[in-house]
Amino acid sequence: MKKMLSVLLVLCLAFTLAACSSSTDSSDTATTDGGLDAVVKAGVLRVGVKEDVPNFGLRNTQTGEIEGFEIDIVKLLAGKILGDENAYELTPVTAKTRGPLLDNGEVDLVVATFTITDERRLTYNFSTAYYEDAVGLLVKKDAGYKGLADMNGKVIGVAQSATSKEAVQKVADGLGIKVSFSEYATYPEIKAALDSGRVDAFCVDGSILGGYLDDTTVILPDRYAPQQYGVASKLNNIALSKAVDGYISGGIADGTIEGLINKWGLKY
Amino acid sequence: MKSSNPFALWRWEKLFGEWQMFGEGFLRTIEIAALALILALVLGIIFGVFSTSNNKIMRGISRIYVEFFQNTPLVIQIFFMYNGLAIAGLRLSVFVIGVLGVGIYHGAYVSEVVKTGITSIPVGQVEAAKSQGFTYLQYMRYIILPQTIKIILPPLTNQSVNLIKNTSVLAMISGFDLMYVADSWASSSLDYGPSYVLAGLLYFMLCFPLATWARKYEERLKLNDIARIPFDKREVAVP
Repeated sequence: MKKMLSVLLVLCLAFTLAACSSSTDSSDTATTDGGLDAVVKAGVLRVGVKEDVPNFGLRNTQTGEIEGFEIDIVKLLAGKILGDENAYELTPVTAKTRGPLLDNGEVDLVVATFTITDERRLTYNFSTAYYEDAVGLLVKKDAGYKGLADMNGKVIGVAQSATSKEAVQKVADGLGIKVSFSEYATYPEIKAALDSGRVDAFCVDGSILGGYLDDTTVILPDRYAPQQYGVASKLNNIALSKAVDGYISGGIADGTIEGLINKWGLKY
Repeated sequence: MKSSNPFALWRWEKLFGEWQMFGEGFLRTIEIAALALILALVLGIIFGVFSTSNNKIMRGISRIYVEFFQNTPLVIQIFFMYNGLAIAGLRLSVFVIGVLGVGIYHGAYVSEVVKTGITSIPVGQVEAAKSQGFTYLQYMRYIILPQTIKIILPPLTNQSVNLIKNTSVLAMISGFDLMYVADSWASSSLDYGPSYVLAGLLYFMLCFPLATWARKYEERLKLNDIARIPFDKREVAVP
């Protein structure tokens, strides 16, 4: 028994050490040849996108294709990097899978409503923000809430890995009220919890909320903590992230991205 | 620049700075698993005994219970208790759903284990007990069940191990258990490597001793069952 445990412990340590040492190796080589060359060589840009967020990345059930604002961003990037708008390959991701997929090299970029934070910059490279959105609250009409101030002691449903929890907590502290949070893996799960009365408000970025608005619910006018979405890439793919950053900045400067935002009607 | 490896040392340091969060989740998982196990055992014994009775209705009830809960996914049962019942007006707390949901689900499996245990006792013993004037409850209590326990303990511990692991479905309904904490931390800090490794280790710490104990117990039982007949040299000579 004791022997087995010690063997296990040693294995764990070895695993961690191996992971650490391999990281230094790969970062050394990666900075020299860069992920950009690999993308150009492969001739296809592999990108992780959402497939369950209306207007940003949603699978069209008729055609089977994923469509939305973020897919148009991918087309823009593929066009600039590879000279072909359609030289991309989409992988549907969730908040839980987008990090691991980037790390293990399954995708080159993630364009999936990924909010930029200082903490996350330690783990991934983020481009200039291509979209800015604030957190909003979706509530049931018959509950009669006018704003967060009316929600003392209520439960707010948020998505895992979303930054909305901290944002709302800060505002609630400022108002001197107490709210609690329940986290869910996907947006439809939060909507189900709102419908069944498990949570009193559905709190995510305003533009995403728009996709879940129906006859029984209403979006409150309050907006908190602007969230910036950026294109994420592996921390050591410096060449690729610099190129992407340049194209996103360019797209903002020449109004292309503004045009795409209007095309998808994203301003709520 | 810090290492970007998902298992880098600084991520572990950050994780252990938040050990209280994992501690609370771990504790909650233990509480839910313990209560659910008690419920599963009670239900399992009741329905297990039902399924071996001569009464058709009792056998029918037990059959329906077992088939329903064994043949639908636990995830759907939990999701239904969380959202379905809430829409119908019954709002159970997540903790109660954990205990009831996991307890009832595993009760069905325990019931099958108990049934097998009872039917493995030779019919002759029941007949002997009846001939001595034992009633149904009496011979169950004094003759059959005590022998059954020895037989079913190993498979029961397997069920307990599964039960502990299955409490992780509560993460889906925001259950604040160990898996939920791991998910939450993994996705908010992006330190998914250390987060899931730690959660896995904690589950392992709960399950491994149980499984080992069951294995050892089974081995000991087998040894006990080998009959030790005093060796008599004269008997060997008999042709």
